[in-house]
Amino acid sequence: MHVYIYDEYLNKSKYNKAINRVEIRLTDLGLNGKIIRLGGIKNIKGTIQNEVRLGAKTIIAVGNNQTVNKIIGAIIDTEIYSDFQKKTLLGIIPIGDDNSIAASFGIKDEEEACNILLARRVEKIDLGLVGRHYFLNQATIASAGTTIDIDDYSLEIAEKGEVQIINLLSDPKEKISSNPHDGQLELLVRTRKKDQTFLRIKKIKINNPQEKLIIDGIVEVDTPAEIDIMQNKVNVIVGKDRLFE
Amino acid sequence: MFNKDNKLEKFKDAETIIGASIKVKGNFQGQGNIIIEGALEGSLKTEADLFIGEQAKVVANIEAHDAIINGEIQGNVKAKNYLAIGGTAKIFGDVQYGEISIDKGALVNGQLLVLAPEGKRGEKNRLSEKGAEAEK
Repeated sequence: MHVYIYDEYLNKSKYNKAINRVEIRLTDLGLNGKIIRLGGIKNIKGTIQNEVRLGAKTIIAVGNNQTVNKIIGAIIDTEIYSDFQKKTLLGIIPIGDDNSIAASFGIKDEEEACNILLARRVEKIDLGLVGRHYFLNQATIASAGTTIDIDDYSLEIAEKGEVQIINLLSDPKEKISSNPHDGQLELLVRTRKKDQTFLRIKKIKINNPQEKLIIDGIVEVDTPAEIDIMQNKVNVIVGKDRLFE
Repeated sequence: MFNKDNKLEKFKDAETIIGASIKVKGNFQGQGNIIIEGALEGSLKTEADLFIGEQAKVVANIEAHDAIINGEIQGNVKAKNYLAIGGTAKIFGDVQYGEISIDKGALVNGQLLVLAPEGKRGEKNRLSEKGAEAEK
């Protein structure tokens, strides 16, 4: 069975047309399933875990990066994770803003998302880990004053700019190559002096007393923080225009 | 590593790039090509090729397969295959190499030692401690 998790913000009337288009398209494609609206639910984790326990074939995040984040947070490293990994796929129908995760998977809009669900092209995807938080795209922090400990060495950055720890690219114009199933993260530092630093890493400790680490553009985490990679952690339905091989 | 005009050129595909704004401290070891434009203290080793940019300041012993040096190194340099020292390079330490080229204007303050291929005896070239300049 397909289970569609509608995020709370979709209750606003401005999303009604988009939701109607999605539901009509899913019906036409024979992809109807159970709809769960997060707005009225107190125990989101329990609800999602229950659907996996009941044998959901696909869990589809209908919403944005936060919606995907809520679903992953409810499943990864819980008692139902092994069931999820064996039997359940994660799908995404992007509606509204903050949908860089869907864009990375080649899912451009809500109608195309339905076609992609039907095609059921699956990729195993790594997950970045920061403390108790997971990320699919990237974690970012301002560069000035940031120190990064990696294996036997450390980086110190004095210039203003941005540090990105990338699992999955979200910008098709980005020239670096990033593979979300190689068990590695890409560390990219760009400063206002227009110089660039690039390394492939597995585990780092990042610290900046003045700035917070931002995960997938939605969660802020204090530093020092350890960032790790969990390989092939989630099976995701992706589009053919995804930003990776 | 060299373009058609035989100019020392940064390689296009590097596994690691350390930009000019970055300071690295510690023992840096990589498998792929490395480009250093910033500062590094400690040690630096790769099985592949190394490019030290003109603005780079390295206080470390370094080891690579091929190496192009355009910046400042305080430490020993070992290029198992080929070493190119550019005209802006300043090396304060001993240099070991398979083959070498040194541009006019380079400063090398230490011993130069050819690494012998396996099975042959090595040769040793000593240079004065005041430094050496060599024509291209």
